[in-house]
Amino acid sequence: MKKKYVTSKGLAFGEEKDMGKLRYYAKQGWVLDRFAPLGFWLKKGEEQDLSFAVDYNKNPDDEYFAYFEQAGWTHVCSEADYIHVFSAAEGTKPIYSDRETTLDKYEVEKKNTGRVALPSLIATILLFVLGNLGSIPGIIGEILIWLGFLTMIVFIFSGMPYVGYQYKLSKLKKG
Amino acid sequence: MARNDSLEIGELTDTSFYILLSLVEARHGYLIMQNIEELTEGGFSIGPASMYTTIKKLLSAGLIELYGDGKGKRKTYIATNSGLQLLEKDIQRRELMIVHAKQVLNQKGEKSG
Repeated sequence: MKKKYVTSKGLAFGEEKDMGKLRYYAKQGWVLDRFAPLGFWLKKGEEQDLSFAVDYNKNPDDEYFAYFEQAGWTHVCSEADYIHVFSAAEGTKPIYSDRETTLDKYEVEKKNTGRVALPSLIATILLFVLGNLGSIPGIIGEILIWLGFLTMIVFIFSGMPYVGYQYKLSKLKKG
Repeated sequence: MARNDSLEIGELTDTSFYILLSLVEARHGYLIMQNIEELTEGGFSIGPASMYTTIKKLLSAGLIELYGDGKGKRKTYIATNSGLQLLEKDIQRRELMIVHAKQVLNQKGEKSG
């Protein structure tokens, strides 16, 4: 089967753009198949005008998917049983229909990423400070610095989405 | 849960208002959307993600509860007594809004008429 890889801007920053990109490719017959590292896999299929939408729900049950099905949204793929992408014929009513639950979606994501970002930031600072203390012997100090780099990566990948969700929320609240 | 929670201040959003109204009788969760569209003749519809989130909020606030032993897709809900009370209260709040609006618009009509 023919496959194509497309990149994602990261859902926290480019959700609308990513969904628009998926629609653009679906029109040319490249339809979303599944998540890929930092992007999506598309497969060759019929040319169709589809809307795409993403939602977050940890370990969803059948009821969750039944609501989408009932509303005309087909479940396409999920990542980590947590991020779910749906598609529907263009013109289907959106998956979020009111302000309060739309804000909830991003508030929950902001909280979840913040829960990882803050501790990993603190760990990074502590590890770098400890690793640079003169009183700690060389090899241990080096290990601490390397651990610091690891927690820094965790911080970047949670801190950036955190900022993205915060930005989105402030835009939604103003609008 | 999230801070933007109208239930905490004892008000229903339009979404939770119509869901609660639908659950005056026991109903399958996934049929609530359809029921609301029929009731309002398509004038009000709830997206599936908004539906799911609001059902969870109403459940955790004790305004609706599971009915019978349906599982998964067949889960059935019904409004609790406190749900019915809040619905009643919210109907009055909404009626008052209409009364206020009519007062203002009628006065304006009298002045210009």
